[in-house]
Amino acid sequence: MSEEFTRTKLVPTRRQFLQSAAAAGAASVLPSSLGAGEAFAQNASDTLVIAAPATPQGLDIEFDVSLGSIDSLGALYEYMLAYEKVPDPDAPGVLREDTSVHPDQPSGLALRGRLAEQWDMSPDGRKATFKLREGVVSNWGNKFTSKDVKWTWDRKFNLKGQGLFQTAVLGLKSPDQIKVEGDYAISFNLDQPNPLLLKQQCNLANPIYDGTKCAEVGGNDDPWAVNFLKNESAGFGPYRLRQLVRGQQAVFEARDDYWDTKPAMKRVIMREVPQSASRFSLLQGGAVDIAQFLQPRELEALKPQKTVAIDAVNASYMIWLELNAKIAPFDNVDVRRAVNLAIPRDEIIRTIYYGYADPQTAPMPYIYPMVDKSFFTYAYDLKKARALLDKAGVGASLATTISYNAGDPTQEPIALLIQTSLRQIGVELTLEKLPAGVFYENVTKRAKPMIFYLDSPWTPDPGYSTYLYFNSKSYVNYSNYNNPTVDQLITEGLQTLDNNVRKTKYTEVQKTLMDEAPWGFIAYPKYTLAHKADLKGFTYYSSNNLRFQDFSRA
Amino acid sequence: MLAAIHLLGRLALIRPRFAAGYLIVLTVTILAILAPLIAPYSPTEADSANFLQPPSAAHLFGTDNVGMDIFSRAIYAPRIDLTIAVLGTLLSALLGGSIGALAGYYSTGHGIRVWLSFAVMRAADVIQAFPVFVFAIALVASLGQSIQTVVLAIAFVNAPIYLRLMRSQVLSIRSMRYVEASQVNGLSDFQTIVRHVIPNAMAPVLAQLSINVGWGILLTAALSFVGAGVRAPTPEWGSMIAMGFQNVVTGQWWPSMFPGVMLAITVFGFSLVGASIEALADPAKRRQLLSDARQRDRKKAAVEQPSLERI
Repeated sequence: MSEEFTRTKLVPTRRQFLQSAAAAGAASVLPSSLGAGEAFAQNASDTLVIAAPATPQGLDIEFDVSLGSIDSLGALYEYMLAYEKVPDPDAPGVLREDTSVHPDQPSGLALRGRLAEQWDMSPDGRKATFKLREGVVSNWGNKFTSKDVKWTWDRKFNLKGQGLFQTAVLGLKSPDQIKVEGDYAISFNLDQPNPLLLKQQCNLANPIYDGTKCAEVGGNDDPWAVNFLKNESAGFGPYRLRQLVRGQQAVFEARDDYWDTKPAMKRVIMREVPQSASRFSLLQGGAVDIAQFLQPRELEALKPQKTVAIDAVNASYMIWLELNAKIAPFDNVDVRRAVNLAIPRDEIIRTIYYGYADPQTAPMPYIYPMVDKSFFTYAYDLKKARALLDKAGVGASLATTISYNAGDPTQEPIALLIQTSLRQIGVELTLEKLPAGVFYENVTKRAKPMIFYLDSPWTPDPGYSTYLYFNSKSYVNYSNYNNPTVDQLITEGLQTLDNNVRKTKYTEVQKTLMDEAPWGFIAYPKYTLAHKADLKGFTYYSSNNLRFQDFSRA
Repeated sequence: MLAAIHLLGRLALIRPRFAAGYLIVLTVTILAILAPLIAPYSPTEADSANFLQPPSAAHLFGTDNVGMDIFSRAIYAPRIDLTIAVLGTLLSALLGGSIGALAGYYSTGHGIRVWLSFAVMRAADVIQAFPVFVFAIALVASLGQSIQTVVLAIAFVNAPIYLRLMRSQVLSIRSMRYVEASQVNGLSDFQTIVRHVIPNAMAPVLAQLSINVGWGILLTAALSFVGAGVRAPTPEWGSMIAMGFQNVVTGQWWPSMFPGVMLAITVFGFSLVGASIEALADPAKRRQLLSDARQRDRKKAAVEQPSLERI
């Protein structure tokens, strides 16, 4: 891999040096290998410098969905379809995916073709045929054909990584259900109609690989190019990877042979800056263009600065408490309801999120179609909460543990506010701080009575979302919730194309979930982006990632 | 006892820095004892209506990011920090001192006891080869996060210090005539060690105690800072600094500054007390101190005399 960028030296002027002095302290925490010359590389108008909490650990979505990795995916790979973009109603200058229901459109979705130029659903909803775009080449110069799509989905079946979930959610049982219908035509053939078939083609987890290159480098030893795709890319996206030094930086270069509009940002440097305070200082001092995942307080502190802009949009993020239905006292539905009544959501949003969140009022993202917030009945009410505890027969006092992630700076203060609130109704919480690795292990083990979870379902669909978190057979059902009626409704909704019927079913699901409160509903954190004021084009995606090709300078 | 207090008083006059040490330790101890009476707010109750308030008359040290009063928490904190550090240090002195006495007493000659003595010293070498903080984190991680495990961690990482101190003292004491006399009189090894060896080898151990209490406080705070010490919202200086340090960059310095300053002053105070005890325990230094004291008394008398004559 070329090291051209690491050697780039752009000598700063004295004025530039002084302007960046404020960032010096933060820059000192950067790895020493990031030389002073690079610190000013962003002065080139077509170079985008991002201070990220982490560089990609791996580039293969089958095995890695960490922050740096998902930001890389949208740049390196292309997808079959994409949602149309619309202006965000609350954030001027920001675009977002149009994920709403469009009864006037085929399949009720506002989609645009990417690698697929045209698509057609059979009347029974069991077959989708895609006519593929011609003249597209990969970053290795190979022509895009239907064989690449086929290779991509065959890989999911064979690797048994997260791709297997993608096949399962579509009801695909065999690779034979994906048929090559010609060099530029491919079909997906399902046993049951599935409303997610087109939506999943937009999902960040389903990039299309250059099958020719992958087969060539993998050979017989590694037929699915696992080792290759971990460190390299073979896709049809607008960028190619030029350098990846884990823990330090990743460098991307725009492709001249990209089939669609060429990105305005020719180079993207993603630097690892783990501390948000350091990312804050780097942006404040003008040393980077984007500082990702700043703390709400830091965003507020940046607001008055004219050279910096803050975008905050409603997102698919949700933060909640898994109230384990198989562990006392949360095996009692009234205790779960009482906890929900005693969660001080408004205080949390004001104190911890500084308004960069909304109260969670549904068991799915509030930006997704068919969400119904009318069943939320857990406005803060300690008297009612205490009455429910009495009804549950837990006695005057109750002790349990709340576990949280040490790696998420918002969870401890939220836990403290909840602890203070619950104390008033006789519930004494012990706070258990878990290191990030141990935390996720505990979440998946489902061994804690009450544990935080922050997540977002990437496909904007009520069936996808509720199946993920509440179906008794789902791996991600960390609260051990089990209601056969809910299971059945979710499954039926995933086999129905009629949006009116689906809405009826998912309204019922949401009503039941709200009533049975398997979660302690907390908040919908917004997706926030702090960037230089002259940087335009931020687009919000349901998968909560950046796509570098969206950005340009004013 | 009175003589000791008198001696300490004179010492404080000769060496003001020692006086500062005693004053700091005394103040922190009093604050810890009287915290429930002095603290204006609960140290563990969040008050979201008053989060991140700067220092004011209502909140002397300001409030943290969930509205807890920093002053109340800062004066409650030594209850935890001091308790952990003192218990950990005493335990390490007991453990290390006892083993050190035995290792020193049986360090020469032949037989299994000599080999055991040798093995103990090599084990101490191994323990001391690890960085103290990393070792303490590993201990807390393996034993589980609680106040008891932090105490054990402090005891364990400090024990080799006392082991070495006691052993080196015993090595010189064991050949003293009074030790030989006790052996000749038929006292068992255990009786000799307990009655004659340990009491005469305690001076450097006592001097080390105060220094180690300071280190213990620092270690407790460091463990809590990285999330391996006491659990939130228990008031503890290290965890308070950890909760507040991210705010410094956005201008809210008080949540971490005040506990940080109190931590630094307290550790400094214990170090000064340790230095004073060390000075008293060392015969040469003690003679020098007493000589200084007498000189000071004479000068004082000389200054007062002319004024009397004038009268």
